[in-house]
Amino acid sequence: MSYLRLDELSKSFGETRVLGGVSLEVSEGETLVLLGPSGSGKTTLLRMIAGFETPDAGRIEVAGVEVTSLPPAKRRFGMVFQHYALFPHLSVAENVAFGLESGSAAPEERLARVAEVLELVDLRGFGERRIHQISGGQQQRVALARALAPRPRVLLLDEPLSNLDRALRERTRREIGDTLTRVGITAVWVTHEQDEAFDVGDRVAVLHQGSLEQVGSPEELYLEPATRFVAGFVGRASAIRGGWRDDGRVSIAGSESAWSGVPGRDFEPGTPVELVFRPEALRLVAVGVEGALPVRVLDRRYAGSQTYFTVESSAGDRFEVIALSEAAAPGDERAVLPGSPAPRVFGRDV
Amino acid sequence: MSERRPAASRRVGFGLVLLLSWLVGYPLMLTFLEALGIGSGFTLEYFAEFVGRVDEWGALWRSVWISAASVVLSALIGVPLAFVFERSEFPGRKVLGALVALPVALPPLVGVIAFLFLYGESGFVSRAVQGLLGLSEPPWRLQGPGAILLVHAYSMYVYFYLFVRAGLARLDVSMQEAAAMLGAGPVRTMFKVTLPLLRPALTGAALLAFMTSLASFSAPYIFGGGFRVMTTQIVFSKLNGEVAMSQVETVVLALVALAGLWALVRLDRGRIEVVGGVRGVAPSRTALRGRWARGSATAVGWGLALVLLLPHLTLILISLVPRATWTIELLPPVLDLGNYRELLAAPERLRPIVNSLWMATVATLGAVALGLAAARSSIRSGGRLGAALEVLLAVPWAVPGTVFAIALATAFSVDAPMAGRFVLVGTPWILPLAYLVRSLPVTGRGALAGLRQLDSSLEEAAASLGAGRWRTLRRVTVPLLKPALAAAASLAFITALGDFVTSIVLYTYDTRPISIEILSSLRLQDTGVAAVYGVLLMAVSAGAFLLWGREEKA
Repeated sequence: MSYLRLDELSKSFGETRVLGGVSLEVSEGETLVLLGPSGSGKTTLLRMIAGFETPDAGRIEVAGVEVTSLPPAKRRFGMVFQHYALFPHLSVAENVAFGLESGSAAPEERLARVAEVLELVDLRGFGERRIHQISGGQQQRVALARALAPRPRVLLLDEPLSNLDRALRERTRREIGDTLTRVGITAVWVTHEQDEAFDVGDRVAVLHQGSLEQVGSPEELYLEPATRFVAGFVGRASAIRGGWRDDGRVSIAGSESAWSGVPGRDFEPGTPVELVFRPEALRLVAVGVEGALPVRVLDRRYAGSQTYFTVESSAGDRFEVIALSEAAAPGDERAVLPGSPAPRVFGRDV
Repeated sequence: MSERRPAASRRVGFGLVLLLSWLVGYPLMLTFLEALGIGSGFTLEYFAEFVGRVDEWGALWRSVWISAASVVLSALIGVPLAFVFERSEFPGRKVLGALVALPVALPPLVGVIAFLFLYGESGFVSRAVQGLLGLSEPPWRLQGPGAILLVHAYSMYVYFYLFVRAGLARLDVSMQEAAAMLGAGPVRTMFKVTLPLLRPALTGAALLAFMTSLASFSAPYIFGGGFRVMTTQIVFSKLNGEVAMSQVETVVLALVALAGLWALVRLDRGRIEVVGGVRGVAPSRTALRGRWARGSATAVGWGLALVLLLPHLTLILISLVPRATWTIELLPPVLDLGNYRELLAAPERLRPIVNSLWMATVATLGAVALGLAAARSSIRSGGRLGAALEVLLAVPWAVPGTVFAIALATAFSVDAPMAGRFVLVGTPWILPLAYLVRSLPVTGRGALAGLRQLDSSLEEAAASLGAGRWRTLRRVTVPLLKPALAAAASLAFITALGDFVTSIVLYTYDTRPISIEILSSLRLQDTGVAAVYGVLLMAVSAGAFLLWGREEKA
């Protein structure tokens, strides 16, 4: 049963269509991540949920009640802003208490709640500090505490980690993720980082050019990308061109081989297609192995736990393969074989 | 937020455009139409008379050249001072740096009478020179264009000083280092790199000085004598009962002011945009080495501060001189608090102070509220509506005070409610209204600048936490705008409190403000009491100025 329901939301700014009919459902207590590149419409979608933008069409429901035209202040949603938007003229505690002031809680209840959420984000004893007296990571946690304090129905997070350096970002996203789980709140989290999306999201919705490409668990998105865009945007993708055969296999361009794959849709025999692999799903083997595609090694990139080899087939397809670091050197002739998971098959323009 | 209730915010925007048009544009338009005789039969007679009269052309020409000369003189004093205080380090630099900006806090009329007491025929300096040289006559007469230019240069160099100092503090040091690496010496670097980069600061200060000079009334009125400029010409025409001629003169001065504004804005349009987002560090100050260099810099600095403070000190001294006790002596023989006691004891003497205080307070509060509302609406509405609000907020700045006074006198001396005209002239409300309108550019621009720097997500954050519009305004927007609003309110209050130029056209005996009382005290040879009023104005203005400084730092 969905708690937050977005139904056919669309939005244009002037002539530019930013969102075209996006529908999504989020269950109670679930964290849904909106993932997409810049300009995909994810922030606009979040701002619509918050009430800062009005959709041209579509509706938003929470717990079965429509909130589409309700002003932000009346939605009882919490939001963590990209640059935190902490009030610089108020102390940490005053910031956290801000959202409690419009409620009916007695002053001592408010104080108790402020202490409780500061404790929750591990900032006990920071209440009297001014905003400029605490670090970026602490500011981030104050922003989270402030949004959680009024017990919102839904928590919205707009790229909440983008202001932190890499090391702090990884630690903080775990902490926030744990906090969200502990509180059990329904959350919508916007990011353009796949690692972040996979780490914090129960499910991830991938947006591209204002449309929803796929919604699913991180595993589904990685192993079973529904579109060519998802395959390329989520994780690394190696593409090899070919043609769809009537036996349901793909003839590989520039070789005699034919490989199996999972088609994204039905294809007519002879349709030009792409086999899209994860780099770890291709094996580098010696030339002459049956069914293997001969390639030349162009480049070798050592990345610690694994080594990426850029290879090129005789048909001119360039892609990446992961292998042991001593498996080949640039200039070597080798071949590749499909491994597991099986590649996805997408149509391609000729 | 921009998308929320667009119709409601547009309605508010339209309402504000109408209100500001009524306050700002309508009186000017009515003045123009009445100068053309619209309503009583179209005529160009008064314009023709203006064109045919040599004294009118003379006044116009004098206004323009005095303003241009004031800009040059102010720049010659202000720019070198800015370099000295921003680029070198010497004992007392910080204190002196603040003192040098002091003339900006002196209401124009107070500055003028302080100059009179100091450099006038019977002023301290003239007496001292006369005594030293054993002359039978005063060494000079503080009259005519020289005297006006002296006062202008004294009060307007501050614009160049403040703007150029701010510009220098922001300057990217790597530009100058690059010039040095490319073989440019200090002089070439100054003229080819530093000054061109300071162009926005220089044109900004020049614009302010030019417009202030063009609108200047106190100095030409007190020192001008037969040397009339447009502002004094307008007031004399009005006082002589030549209403139509004063309206024509008003229209002409308004057009010259707008032409000056247009020319300087065009000049500024060609300015160089600095490429590259990363800004270097401002150049460090050169500490003056050697006892001689430090000693002389300190001495020159304090000497300068003394010269700048002399008008203030003179005013305080004169306020302590009892009536008719100082005749031919170099220094006053008797000093006491008699003038202060006299002023405090007589309710009629206190009246102008009470008048000025309440009128300036009401005008400032009104101007802050209206300025903030218009600025907020301008940013929220954007587009043509936003631009119209911005223009309406800026117009009273470009138009000299005399022009506005005549325009308000024209618009609000007729009872025609359907035409948006009410009789306010002669009531206690016309002066606060005039002060309010004249303060709008300061409060409006202050609010606009503050709002533009405000992160819009702060207001969104408040909304997401359940705060409605009023609570967001009260708890988030206004507290964050406090420094900008306090600065604007201080400036507006100082200007309204010391206003002379609009008051002289619109006051009545019951509403006479301090400036008018100073003038009548001077006419009655009551210099001590005039000085007491001046000291009080100065003290309250300095208090407001300090409040601004404290808010800036907070």
